[in-house]
Amino acid sequence: MDEPRDPQLLKGVLPMLVLALLTERESYGYELVTRLHEGGLDDLGAGTLYPVLNRLERDGQISSRLVASTSGPARKYYLPTDTGAQRLWSTARAWQQLAGTVDALLARATTKESS
Amino acid sequence: MSTSLRDTLVRERYLLRFSWAMQDYPRHKTVVRELRRELTATASEVGMRRAVTDLGHPRVLADGHLGELGRPVPRWTTGAVWGALALGAVVYLAMAYGFGTLDTLDQLGGGTVERVFLGATTTFTSDGDAIGMGTTLTWQALVFSAAVFTVPFLLGARVWRAWTPAPAAVLA
Repeated sequence: MDEPRDPQLLKGVLPMLVLALLTERESYGYELVTRLHEGGLDDLGAGTLYPVLNRLERDGQISSRLVASTSGPARKYYLPTDTGAQRLWSTARAWQQLAGTVDALLARATTKESS
Repeated sequence: MSTSLRDTLVRERYLLRFSWAMQDYPRHKTVVRELRRELTATASEVGMRRAVTDLGHPRVLADGHLGELGRPVPRWTTGAVWGALALGAVVYLAMAYGFGTLDTLDQLGGGTVERVFLGATTTFTSDGDAIGMGTTLTWQALVFSAAVFTVPFLLGARVWRAWTPAPAAVLA
């Protein structure tokens, strides 16, 4: 059974995940929520994502364009900018280093507990 | 596809509460306008109620936007409420004093009294034919009124937050 997820853990990595998904292909807000759900973050609400999108766009890490839709009003599609792509690369490396460190520390603690 | 009246009401009710909570966010009307478009578009896929529910409480959503600023922002609306309450309290006290003075004059058999405060002469008249208050306007009174509003306004708005530097670029 999955452990309940601390929202603070997700908050730190959500911008990186958004940049990663948008690097795969451009998406609009609600589609990103759906893709994140499919990726395993099924408890993520749209209300958590929109402020992040807003900030990334304000910081120039993603750009947007309006695309007409046949089923309703125009959709705002997002795509990483060059700055966003660079930020994704550097953040992903920082995350991998941090994850490695955390894994090593947790492994030591787990080993000590079981012995 | 047009939005039904019921969906429009649900959307606008949410946006009104969101907009109120976002008043201190810089250029918040742009965010509200974009959220309206996003809600309308999402509703065409999943329905308006689901679209609104997925956003969570409007106050929490607004807090999310404010939190992403990475710095505290002045609370101008709160400041305006504080200022208005302070000014209202002073006006209430002045009126209470005025009516009290007129009542006293009436009890004493009528007459006219003049009082000077901040350079403004206020005349209270109460006799068998007329009852009234009149005052002059002075710059001291104007400065006092402005200070009564401005000081609570600035404190309530946490105006010093306007000079809080924006955080350095953070990792995505």
